[in-house]
Amino acid sequence: MIADVLALLAFPCIAAFIFVGMHTWLGLQVLRRKVIFADLALAQLSALGATVAVAIGHAPGSAGAFTYALLFTLAGAVMLTLSRRVSVDVSQEAVIGIVYVVATALTVLVVDRSPQGAEHVKRMLVGSILTIGPADVFKLTLLYGAVGLLHTAFRRPILAAASDNRGHASWTLTFWDFVFYGSFGLVVTSSVALAGVLLVFSFLIIPAVIGTLFSRQIGAALAIGWSAGVLASLLGFGASLVLDVPTGAAMVAAFALVLVAAMLIRVFARSSASRLQPKQVARVALAVLAGAVFLESCWLMLSPRGDHPLLAGFEVLTGIGPERFLTATERSVYTDAAQTELRNRGEVERLRALEREARWKGKELGEEELRRVASFQQSFNEMGRGERFVQDHLRATARARERWYVGLPAMLLSALCLAWFISGVRKRRARVSTGRRGGDVTVAP
Amino acid sequence: LATTPDLKSIAESVTGGAVRVETLVPPGTDAEAFEPRPSHLGLVRDAVLVIRVGLGFDDWLDRLIVQSGNTRVQRGAEAQLDLSKEVALLEVQGRSVEQQSGHAHGAANPHYWLDPANAEAMGAVIAEAVVRVAPEKRASIEASHDRFRAELKARLERWTRALEPHRGAPIVAYHNSWPYFARRFRLNIVDVIEPKEGVPPTAARLLSLAATIRSKKVRVIVHEPFEPMEASRSLSQRTGAQVVVLAPSVGGAPGTETYFALFDRNVDLLGKALAGQP
Repeated sequence: MIADVLALLAFPCIAAFIFVGMHTWLGLQVLRRKVIFADLALAQLSALGATVAVAIGHAPGSAGAFTYALLFTLAGAVMLTLSRRVSVDVSQEAVIGIVYVVATALTVLVVDRSPQGAEHVKRMLVGSILTIGPADVFKLTLLYGAVGLLHTAFRRPILAAASDNRGHASWTLTFWDFVFYGSFGLVVTSSVALAGVLLVFSFLIIPAVIGTLFSRQIGAALAIGWSAGVLASLLGFGASLVLDVPTGAAMVAAFALVLVAAMLIRVFARSSASRLQPKQVARVALAVLAGAVFLESCWLMLSPRGDHPLLAGFEVLTGIGPERFLTATERSVYTDAAQTELRNRGEVERLRALEREARWKGKELGEEELRRVASFQQSFNEMGRGERFVQDHLRATARARERWYVGLPAMLLSALCLAWFISGVRKRRARVSTGRRGGDVTVAP
Repeated sequence: LATTPDLKSIAESVTGGAVRVETLVPPGTDAEAFEPRPSHLGLVRDAVLVIRVGLGFDDWLDRLIVQSGNTRVQRGAEAQLDLSKEVALLEVQGRSVEQQSGHAHGAANPHYWLDPANAEAMGAVIAEAVVRVAPEKRASIEASHDRFRAELKARLERWTRALEPHRGAPIVAYHNSWPYFARRFRLNIVDVIEPKEGVPPTAARLLSLAATIRSKKVRVIVHEPFEPMEASRSLSQRTGAQVVVLAPSVGGAPGTETYFALFDRNVDLLGKALAGQP
């Protein structure tokens, strides 16, 4: 089992590290150039190129399709490069947005007018990182190696072009801009096809943002971004495995988590130097919690039958469910309904398994028998729904009683808490203003 | 007017060209992701009879009909045929509630045209309805309906014979489109790769699928033309099972231009793959 897991995840993991390595560097430049969504526009253009190629008769995945995709991406790179020259009048983000939207619309039009096969290409932008194999990793290494070498050799002019903020740039600058966008398009196009739009955007932007949070220097920012990216990737793979959730989405969530953690570290690191105290942070957090509890308990008092997410969480954590507030008879009805629902569901499952097996084993089910099975399944499902309705109704009744025992105290307690917080803020303000007025007089604590 | 190319092909065979049949979903596209064009509105407006799959498979039709103002063919009218009412359904849920009537409709797996035996009932209802709207063509329609029935019977016997040696053969499908097909040809679909559309399989799921494929000696992974290949391909590489691309509807692949050709090709490809030929 462990060996299986390793065999399955080894190549996706290697690919993720390669992605982090390349994209953090590009992401830092994207941040400096303020062209956050350029990757989406270029990827969409390459999808359009591949779609056009398939529509005029090249096989999907062939050299012809790749050439078209490449040419369209390079055309996009030219557009983005030139857009900077007019960006004094029009923001570059606007041009990027327009390129993205128009490329998407044109793709739809081309797919619509072309014979079979073009529909494949529409899915070019939804790669799946889990199914990356050794051949993909090999290709990635070659391509990214070449782009990486180019960028290492010419990092100075490329960086200079990125951080130059003059409006009308010189033609040398424009040349380096084109080198950047061209190689960027090449990288993004291949990574989006393998890992999907969402994940590539995360690879590109989040580690770069984390790096920029901690350092203005490109070298340090790069190192921090790389470590954060590798950490987030590992976290995402682990979570996807342990919680059994789709890998790409889990990785995006992991990247966000690492970003939040980095922001907190940043805030606290700065606060030790300046006036923000941990005690103060705790006080604000408590106040926010009290506010949420106050709103939730007011809502519970007003409408006990509505949805109560905070209360439901509290009930799950403490085990104090609404069942406590039912009479003995009501409670027996409640558990009975829950059990009947479970039994009905089991019955549906049994019928389903029976029908499934009869598809290929033993005697075939006739039309009439099949219809009978279907109507039984339907009735059991309906009955299950009835039982669920009974449970919902009883839970609502219980909540109506619960509000006096849980909702009212919670409301009063959180109101007190808020009042204490507000008076604390007022006192401190008064202290600051009297202090400013020049006396050493402090207001009584 | 039929919603999908499958229904169009059946309707054409049954009527033998006595009436004009059009399809809304063009052949070779995904019916569940259909986007109407202006010309479709005209087709719906002029339709005297609408044939649909039902079961939520072509829900967009209702809005098209309202838009076109053609009340003859609205839901519940005699000139709208919901063929799902004519066949015995598999995997009935009973959860969805129809908005119009408020009664539980019992959404089930909608791919019932993939059981060719169901085409007999479907064809009969279509023939009857067409005769109702065009009574003057009764004789020619009845003649071609008889021809359709005879050919269906003959071909069904041939298809069944072709897949008979593989009775009970274990298969993995990418999407749950094949229960009716499996039931007719006595195949055992042990698992599907993507149970929910658009949600890629998780790592644990891929592992358990590979384990199932190995332990049950699955030789074939059934795949549809528009589904993402990555998961099937990597499973195939890891286990040696063969990926077979079968068309789920008429025009979904080259050589499936009619309903009969669709099964000719699918049965042929599947039979070869199950026999271990590349």
